[in-house]
Amino acid sequence: MSGDMNCGRLREIGAELALGVLPGRERAEAVAHLDRCANCREYVRQLTLVGDRLIGLLPEREPPPGFETRAARLPARQAPAHEAPAGAADRAFRHLRGRARRARLRLAAVATALTVAVGFAGWGIGTAVEEVLASSAPAAESELMLVGDMTSTVGGETVGEVYAHPGTPGWIFVSVGLTGPHASYTGKVTCLLEHADGRIVRVGDFTLNGGRGEWGVAAPGDLSTLSGARLTMPDGTVLATAHLQKGQVVEPEK
Amino acid sequence: MIFRGGRAGGRAIPWRPSSVYRGVSGFRSPVDRLPDEALLSGLATGDPELAVVFVRRFQRRVFGVAMAVTGDEQLAEDVAQSTFERAWRHAQIYDSRRGSVTTWLTTIAHNLAVDAVRARRTEPMAPEDLDAVIGVVTETPEQWALADETAAQLRAAVARLPREQARALVMAGIYGMTAQQIADAERIPLGTAKTRIRAAMAKLRTTLASPKRGDHVR
Ligand SMILES: [Zn+2]
Repeated sequence: MSGDMNCGRLREIGAELALGVLPGRERAEAVAHLDRCANCREYVRQLTLVGDRLIGLLPEREPPPGFETRAARLPARQAPAHEAPAGAADRAFRHLRGRARRARLRLAAVATALTVAVGFAGWGIGTAVEEVLASSAPAAESELMLVGDMTSTVGGETVGEVYAHPGTPGWIFVSVGLTGPHASYTGKVTCLLEHADGRIVRVGDFTLNGGRGEWGVAAPGDLSTLSGARLTMPDGTVLATAHLQKGQVVEPEK
Repeated sequence: MIFRGGRAGGRAIPWRPSSVYRGVSGFRSPVDRLPDEALLSGLATGDPELAVVFVRRFQRRVFGVAMAVTGDEQLAEDVAQSTFERAWRHAQIYDSRRGSVTTWLTTIAHNLAVDAVRARRTEPMAPEDLDAVIGVVTETPEQWALADETAAQLRAAVARLPREQARALVMAGIYGMTAQQIADAERIPLGTAKTRIRAAMAKLRTTLASPKRGDHVR
């Protein structure tokens, strides 16, 4: 098994990739190919659409009574521990919620990796890949990921997320939606990365539009020693900071 | 680098929190008429009224997907609940260029459901479950056909698939099973499982790609 992925090979596994059932290693090779091949990218995009449409054929079902009220409970925004009040079924919920949260990190991170690498649209493929990761063997497939919430330097609220994936190449993804005094800020921000040894590295600039922006970039160098990230305005004002923690691409529990 | 900053800003949605559309909390407030995307972006403001409208609009879709994949009402409800929680959290970064809100939500629900089932399922897929799902996916009530021609075409295309390909398609595409898992369940070689998935998907892709109904998809 060589790491060679050409168009012919990609066409063989594109359907599995699009449906999110391609095992991790092959997936990585396929994604690397898509990164440089627009034709295959379009091919997989179409297949992803087919997968989405297939799910769309499933019939609607009326949820149990009371679901609407339970589901519409908005989380206290930015409160990390917003677990619902106790109740009979709540332990189950809580359990699932914990899983969902980890899955969320996985989802966002992996989907982002793909979008950054591949640069094409479609929800299916990113989430699909999450499934693959969820199914893969823990030891063999764990991917180191650094994650952290962006916290506003003004109010302390969570205003975004940072993901860093050490690798070759490594990549960084920042998603931010500022609140408070900078909520309407439109303009350039600089992203700085902090390493555990105190080094601070400027990784690049991007634009916020009305306080919001998403940005991904391939980042050279060793990202595994990252400890934090911060966003600054051109005048040096620090808008938000994040502590990065190591996370693995987690397995669902038994 | 492919990402550009401020993608969310690219959405031109004529919606302003707490002004025009906020109706009296009536039976059917004007909020009900907000486009999906506007509703979603409004959720970022933390408005509970919007959340109710949003859930009301999508809960059948989301729960339907969760039920189809899990086959377990309690688990499906957990999945559906988690789907909405995820929607709340990601409302701000939803990007309409990557797909409709409905597709986005059903993808999340599907994904969580597959994950949930994987965590607990030890038995392979029961053949009758699979047949039931194929039946559901291929039946075309007339009103659906009228409502969504593409969906009708896709249903018909799935119905035309050789049975073993339809099974592989459903196992991979709906239950999230890998080719290896399908091979094990069907007691066929891995290569055969992969070929079936590929063949089925190729036919469906052709169906969707052709403007008229390509009856002769190879
Ligand atoms: Zn290619």
